[in-house]
Amino acid sequence: MDGELLSETFVELTDTMVAGFDVIDFLHVLTDRSVQLLDVSAAGLLLADPRGELRVVAASSQAARLLELFQLQNDQGPCLDCFRAGQPVAADDLAAAGHRWPRFAPAARQAGFAAVQALPMRLREQVIGALNLFRAGPGPFDPADVRVGQALADVATISLLHERGMRRSDTLNEQLQSALNSRVVIEQAKGKLAERLSLDMDQAFSLLRHHARSCNLRLSDLAQAFIDGSETLTGLTAGASQQRTPGAGQARQQPPGG
Amino acid sequence: MTGSRPGRLWGLVAAQAAGRGGRVSAADACAAAVAAVGVTGAWLSAADGGGAGHLMRVTDAVSEQLAELQLALGEGPSLDASATGGPVLASDLGAAEAAGRWLAFAPAALQAGAAAIFVFPLRIGAIRAGVMGLYRAGAGPLSPSQLGDALVFADAATLLLLDAQDQATGSPAPSGPGGQPAGLALHRAEIDQATGMLTEQLGTGIADAFARLRSYAYVNDLRLSDVARDIVARRLRLLRDPDASRDGEA
Repeated sequence: MDGELLSETFVELTDTMVAGFDVIDFLHVLTDRSVQLLDVSAAGLLLADPRGELRVVAASSQAARLLELFQLQNDQGPCLDCFRAGQPVAADDLAAAGHRWPRFAPAARQAGFAAVQALPMRLREQVIGALNLFRAGPGPFDPADVRVGQALADVATISLLHERGMRRSDTLNEQLQSALNSRVVIEQAKGKLAERLSLDMDQAFSLLRHHARSCNLRLSDLAQAFIDGSETLTGLTAGASQQRTPGAGQARQQPPGG
Repeated sequence: MTGSRPGRLWGLVAAQAAGRGGRVSAADACAAAVAAVGVTGAWLSAADGGGAGHLMRVTDAVSEQLAELQLALGEGPSLDASATGGPVLASDLGAAEAAGRWLAFAPAALQAGAAAIFVFPLRIGAIRAGVMGLYRAGAGPLSPSQLGDALVFADAATLLLLDAQDQATGSPAPSGPGGQPAGLALHRAEIDQATGMLTEQLGTGIADAFARLRSYAYVNDLRLSDVARDIVARRLRLLRDPDASRDGEA
């Protein structure tokens, strides 16, 4: 555990959580930092939708195989178990987890992961979602890392309730659905920008996020305006976010079928 | 987690349509929600491009009054729901919080006979189809299961409103038997991303792009999520002319 990076992360997260911040942008920062801090290969945040689904609200990567793994957990997997039990769920070695999760375990291994963990997003007695962490190599999760991961999951929970405080379950449900719809708007905008500039989805997301920050706009407001046509983003080019996010502009496009 | 819920509730919507002997429409989703969610009444208004929308269905006189009050007063949960993209759940209009939120609307709604009001924006991301409102004569929150059901009815109303708009512009109806669109029980990022990509490929707005995506899946008997995945992976492009037969492999 890198102590300096840890404290920097929490300073960054609390700095970001100011009036008018964008919760989806914030949750993406949180999944990115989870990967850096916790020695894992991928991270995602899943929220429990009252419709009866677990829905991905942020992920450290848009790789189709990773999104598929989150999706699968509507039926089985550590996030579903974690959500039901309200407790952390881990598998140190997915090769030995075939009985526990007959579909999820082989799919996760095929995607290149050997260990997985889910940490609950808890609000008093209620579990509203989970932070899902994947690691390429097998072995137990370091207890210090687990504590930091749980703290990150707690911060994610707080951020969802930030805007109007949490007094009623009504408020939580309003915020949750609003966040889920924002996420859809951002996905639609990513698609539009990716098509226009021939980018992959990660690159399109970086570019939108960079532009929102440099213009001091909420990411979801920018995404909505871009789709409505009131924001044209004509000045944006594929390399525009390179300074802030090295690598985002490199030729990283997935070949078809990748 | 509970895969049968959308199927069960779409069945209630279809039964509502059958009961009145008509084609399944968003108004049926609104009417079916009343008994299934356990509220006193409901209203549904369709978006009309930036305006206040037009009232499509009310299940009783109080619902009509609630919808019209918000238009007259220029405040209320429908407007708030449109602004945030999330529902507005006011389980006690007599509470100080509601009174503070809507100075004019809260007392007027109470006077009209509503003690709790729950408004759901009919949206898929940036696509705006309208608003569905539910009210109760007595105060009290929706239970988690009632909220889940209300959200599924709102999803149904959204899709049915979008279908009705497509039919008005001459596109084929993308719904399957009983009006239930295939493959929408689970939300998938690829569907949203593909919809965004299609706005560029087709040079259309987001709602038309989504209609094309659904009708392509329906006409070719494919799952929506599979079509979306092919578009996102750039294995499939759709062409601008809806009658073009050359949609296909990129």
